[in-house]
Parts: sequence; structure tokens; C-alpha cells
Amino acid sequence: MKSVVTTVVTAADAAGRFPSTSDLESVQGSLQRAAARMEAAEKLASNIDNVAKEAYDACIKKYSYLNDAGEANSTDTFKSKCLRDVKHYLRLINYCLVVGGTGPLDEWGIAGQREVYRALNLPTAPYVEALSFARNRGCAPRDLSAQALVEYNSLLDYVINSLS
Amino acid sequence: MLDAFSRAVVSADSKTACIGGAELDSLKSFIADGNKRLDAVNVIAGNASCIVSDAIAGMICENQGLIQAGGNCYPNRRMAACLRDGEIVLRYITYAVLSGDASVLEDRCLNGLKETYAALGVPLQSTGRAVGIMKASSLAHINNNNTEAQAGSRYKKNEMAQGDCSAITSEAGSYFDRVISALS
Repeated sequence: MKSVVTTVVTAADAAGRFPSTSDLESVQGSLQRAAARMEAAEKLASNIDNVAKEAYDACIKKYSYLNDAGEANSTDTFKSKCLRDVKHYLRLINYCLVVGGTGPLDEWGIAGQREVYRALNLPTAPYVEALSFARNRGCAPRDLSAQALVEYNSLLDYVINSLS
Repeated sequence: MLDAFSRAVVSADSKTACIGGAELDSLKSFIADGNKRLDAVNVIAGNASCIVSDAIAGMICENQGLIQAGGNCYPNRRMAACLRDGEIVLRYITYAVLSGDASVLEDRCLNGLKETYAALGVPLQSTGRAVGIMKASSLAHINNNNTEAQAGSRYKKNEMAQGDCSAITSEAGSYFDRVISALS
């Protein structure tokens, strides 16, 4: 799993040298920014059900045709799966906040995403809408601190870009 | 390869759960004590050649047969290989200390090491003893309680912030123990 530390260690190992001062500097830089990421991860973890539900409701409201017979949100099973997918992305964002890189999203969310949605005949626009809603819903300092919100929003942007 | 953070992610993913509560608290203490970890890595890396040569010399002092004809450190060539291996093991231990997880040590160093040494006829007990000496001197460096009496003319004072290093000491010690148990 790619993170600042594993990148530094991989580079040092390839050169066969002990961790150098500059290696330690880059690890320290990532640790300094980590407090805000941990705050965002904690808030998201404690509130993920509500965040996912709101985002899901917003996208179904915009794309109400999805409720029609035969569409992706037509039955209760489909509805719960749509909500689960939104929550799945938010959980991966929680992981990325902890790791401090996009590794979990890249490996478990984005790789193969296009092929899966195409094979299942799912539209990606509703996902974009749901995540955009979450992107614009967060508010500092009401929900979390400004720096934490920046970290959270930039990961949402990353997923939105991957889907659009 | 994993670090403390990605280890938490992988174990949370296997339960399809978010990371929060207790797991985050342990990661927060990892962040809060980050400078102790970096100091520990820095001090081991900075004294690496001393730690390694002391350990190999100590191992030989305790078992003179190693440098007699037929011993495994007998011609310079094999002694040099021994010093090189000591440095490699110590290097992977610093990687493990830096990442807060033993996966890099396990995957890239210990996996198959015992079998390799057995095939090459390297005495595992002596190797384990050398790692044990490296452990003692590395932990003394981390705690900054190495003394002139122990090191003699090679004594070098490390300027570091003073504080409670018991957590990082026991963590670093566990990586050395992992090497020793992998070889025995």
C-alpha cells in the first residue's frame, strides 16, 4: 500500500542505504499534516451512515428516473445496493485519510471501476451527483476544522474526477 | 509493504468497517510520538557501522573458532560477507522502526533467510548472537544511555531531546527479537 513511509522505504531499499536525513524529513512532513487527516477520518467514521444517506437521497432526487421500473434504483434490493456503493466510497475515503495517500481508493475503488459499471450497465452520473453533494455539504468549522475539510474534500474531488 | 497506517486500513477493510475510535487513538499516539521514532531511526542509522562491527567483533570474541581455519569468518572474504549481512539486517530493522510495522522486515529480509543460511553453512546460533548484540547497543543508542565505559575510545554522544522512550524501545526490541526467532 503506497504511503509516504512506504515510498521512502522503497527508495532507500532500492539504493541499499539506511534512511537518510531527507527521508526522515519527508516522513516528518507527513506526520505534521496527519492531525487534520485523523480529525476528518474520525468525524467521517462516526457519521458515515448519515453522510452516505444524504448523498444517496440527493442523487436519487436529481435522477428520479432511476426509480422507474427496470432502472438501477427500482427495487428495495437495488436501493440498498446503491446506498451501499456510496458508503463504500466514503469508507475508502476514510482509509485514504488515515494512510495519507490515495492508495486505498486507487487499489480498491478506482481500479476496474469503469469496466464494472459498464458491465452492470450502471450510470456513473448519479455517483458523481452523490459525491458532489457530499463535497459541498461539509462546512468548517461547523462539521470539522478548515484543514480537515480541505483534506476530506480533496479526496472527494479525486473520486469525482475518476468517475467523470 | 505496509506501515502502521496501512496496516490499520488493511485490517479494517477485512471487516468492511471504517477506522475510528480505538484504532484511530493508537494512530494518533503514533503521530504524537513521531519525533521519538525519527530520532530512533536517525541514531541507529548514524551509528550503524559502529553497531554492526561491534556486534560481529563481539560474536567472534565469544567464539574464537570462527576466525580459525575452517571457521565461518576465517578468510577476510567471509568476514566481510558477515559484516555486510549484519548491516543489511540492521538496515531492514531501521525500515521496520520507521514504518512502525514489521512487514518490510519479514518480506524483504527474513523470508527464506534461515534456509539460505542453512544452505550456505552459516552458523545460525552465532548470527543470532550478533543480532542480540546489535539489539543491546541499538536500544542503548535509542535511550541515549550508552556510556563512555561501555564504548571506550569509540564513545560518541548523541544530542537528542530527552524523554520517555520506553514504547519505541520495546517496539524496536521486538523487531530484533523477530530476527532472532526467525533464525532459530
